[in-house]
Amino acid sequence: MSEIRKLTLAYLGLMALLALTVGSSFIDLGGFNPALNLAFAAAKAGIIAILFMHLARTEPLARLAVAAAGLWLAILFGLTLAGQATGGI
Amino acid sequence: MSSQPAIVGNYLREGAGVGSWLLTTDHKRIAWLYLASLTAFFFLGGFFALMIRIELATPAGDLVSDAVYNRLFSLHGIIMVWFFLVPSIPATLGNFLLPLMIGARDLAFPRLNLASWYVFILGSLFTLASVVLGGVDTGWTFYTPLSSIYSDSYVSLAAFGVFVVGFSSIMTGVNFIVTVHKLRAPGLTWFRLPIFVWTLYATSLVMVLATPVLAASLILIVLERAFGLGVFDPRLGGDPLLFQHLFWFYSHPAVYIMILPGMGVVSEILPCFSRRPLFGYTSVALASMAIAVFGFLVWGHHMFVSGQSTYAGVVFSFLSFCVAIPSAIKVFNWSLTLRKGEITFEAPMLYALFFLALFTFGGLSGLFLAALAVDVHVHDTYFVVAHFHYIMVGGMVMAYMGGLHFWWPKMTGRLYPETLGRIAAVTTFIGFNLTFLPQFVLGFNGMPRRYHTYPPEFQFWHILSSAGAVVLAAGYLMPLYYLGRSLFRGAKAPGNPWDATGLEWQTGSPPPPHNFAVTPVVTRPAYDYPMKGLEHERFSPHRGTAG
Amino acid sequence: MTGSVESVAFDTRHREQAADTFGMWVFIGSEAMLFGSIMLVFLIAHISYGPAFAAASKHLSLTLGTVNTAVLITSSFAMALAHLLSTARRWRDAALALTATALLGIVFLAIKGSEYAMEFHEGIAPVLGAPFTFDGPDPVHAQLFFSLYFAMTALHGLHLIGGIAVVGWLLAFWRRTGPASRGRRVQAVGLYWHFVDVVWVFLFPVLYLIDR
Repeated sequence: MSEIRKLTLAYLGLMALLALTVGSSFIDLGGFNPALNLAFAAAKAGIIAILFMHLARTEPLARLAVAAAGLWLAILFGLTLAGQATGGI
Repeated sequence: MSSQPAIVGNYLREGAGVGSWLLTTDHKRIAWLYLASLTAFFFLGGFFALMIRIELATPAGDLVSDAVYNRLFSLHGIIMVWFFLVPSIPATLGNFLLPLMIGARDLAFPRLNLASWYVFILGSLFTLASVVLGGVDTGWTFYTPLSSIYSDSYVSLAAFGVFVVGFSSIMTGVNFIVTVHKLRAPGLTWFRLPIFVWTLYATSLVMVLATPVLAASLILIVLERAFGLGVFDPRLGGDPLLFQHLFWFYSHPAVYIMILPGMGVVSEILPCFSRRPLFGYTSVALASMAIAVFGFLVWGHHMFVSGQSTYAGVVFSFLSFCVAIPSAIKVFNWSLTLRKGEITFEAPMLYALFFLALFTFGGLSGLFLAALAVDVHVHDTYFVVAHFHYIMVGGMVMAYMGGLHFWWPKMTGRLYPETLGRIAAVTTFIGFNLTFLPQFVLGFNGMPRRYHTYPPEFQFWHILSSAGAVVLAAGYLMPLYYLGRSLFRGAKAPGNPWDATGLEWQTGSPPPPHNFAVTPVVTRPAYDYPMKGLEHERFSPHRGTAG
Repeated sequence: MTGSVESVAFDTRHREQAADTFGMWVFIGSEAMLFGSIMLVFLIAHISYGPAFAAASKHLSLTLGTVNTAVLITSSFAMALAHLLSTARRWRDAALALTATALLGIVFLAIKGSEYAMEFHEGIAPVLGAPFTFDGPDPVHAQLFFSLYFAMTALHGLHLIGGIAVVGWLLAFWRRTGPASRGRRVQAVGLYWHFVDVVWVFLFPVLYLIDR
């Protein structure tokens, strides 16, 4: 598949996901709505990262850097929210 | 060795005039730019410390008012932490030595390096402005709601300065990380790197991951003060404790930013002056990485009595005990490096040995603080102050001075006067202990930190401490004098005056502008010192290798 | 070969390119921590005041927010095209794609600005001393929502302005830049631009879609 086709498909996919995101927000799914929104956002981020930023083609080192940032965000969020959940922030 | 091409050129002579220094992209010159600025800040922060100690020599608050005293300790902390300690070794010795130690001609991004210095200076202008205008009184920790709502001092200005300087940190961190990954000389595998490089790498990881969180916390304070944001204001639905989580998520790893490079320097000096390889190289390298990673998991130990969840407190306490382990591993390895060595006591070695003693002592005092029950008693007392000064001053500044002396011939092509160097080292050690050992006593007897008055029964210890501060100041002023003088009057240094291993010693003192005429090829492990009589020891790194 | 490297440290262009890319990803990692911290602040406030935040979120213009998201995604598409065209050495087309990227970025800022103006007008912009009037059950916590909304979108906007400035600078010096450098710079700016897009992709649902 030519590169331009890949990019165009990625773009159309992103727009479709955007439509789905907004559309699903009008349907009341209770607690599922935020989770779904985040899932859609993650999907868009994934498309941008892999197809626009070529994350899959970069060397493993760069992907490790991304993973590390993700892990560190998890530490920040995890321990802080756990503290909040167990009585007082 | 004789087949090496002649070393030609001297980076200090390459281009004269202010422009060639202020617009340089040579990492060695940028290191000097930082060295000059950081020395100025060190003495500014030290001035505030002296004022504090003079005030505390008497129980009454008679030198300054409490409002002014609050500004003194706040500025001392802010300047010492962000404008001296955090950048100190990485931006001076690290900038100078990292490319040399890995056989590279420069860092990966030389212009980014210069930009990082300008960003540092820009940030410092904001904070200096706040000093000149009257200072900030929230403590270096900027706790809310004092900083965000009630303080009428120049919080935003000072905080914004630190915010900007943080980006200088991140730029340096990115530069170092990419350099270590991409510019190692042929044959220089990770486990042949000097430990100083390992620690700079670990430090850079922490800089890149932690500093942005500080930036977020400080910018939120500025927004709160300027625009009434409300995230830390309970009246608007905010929570002041949230600031502490964000602040300490950075500031605890920040103490590892401060100490790891010092550990690296000591790992270079001890093998050289005992003529032995570093014991347990792999453990020391991996322990450095472990410190960097585990350092992110303990921030709540600054908040045991803050009202955070007690379950979180227990977890953070446990993790804080765990984080001491890699540091202890390093202390054991350093000590064993000395065993059966041919030890000589040049100034760098004195500083390194003092580091070993004082860092260990300070680290052990940290374990007291990690214990929840003990911390409830000594939190916000001089016990804490003594603990972190043992690590920061007894550890880090000692290592910094040691490194400065060790690599001075390399950086300047001059030798410093050895006798004066030893006298300064011993003076610093005596002054340091006199200043801070009494503070442990003060702390567990209840002397609170950040107070400028106290009951008369504490005065004896305070006088010891203040006297010590004067001796300590003398210990720091001496190198300022004789190192500065050696720039013009010092004896010329050979390429390798200490007969040390390491790529930086294989080129001239001072090095040529692009460090190496030919990129070196590495075939030997690090710390390739002779193991006279110990070649067959079970733990020898040379066991089984040729030569 | 060595003549085309920008930094004296590198022996080959290929190695320098790898270093540039890696360095930019490391920087992106640090930026992720910055935006992540502020998101954490928002998240904690949201957990504490769910209903107030939901009510407040409804006052944001869903239409403009959606349009803006589409604009930014399109700008990322343009940037990706610019990179593709650079690697194919179609310099003129690449420059056009870069211009489109920057223009779309400016469109985003314009729409954001108009949203801000609307919010000021409606009295729900608790910034710069403007009065805050909210006709819902929990005005205090709704105000917190709007303060955070302004802080987060402003931080994002500042990053976008930075990106537009760099693209502009790149275009201004396009003729004077050697081909190897052009490719590297487009690649590096591209990574940054896409990251700013990813941040918005998360900000949009978090701010605009709490409870429609």
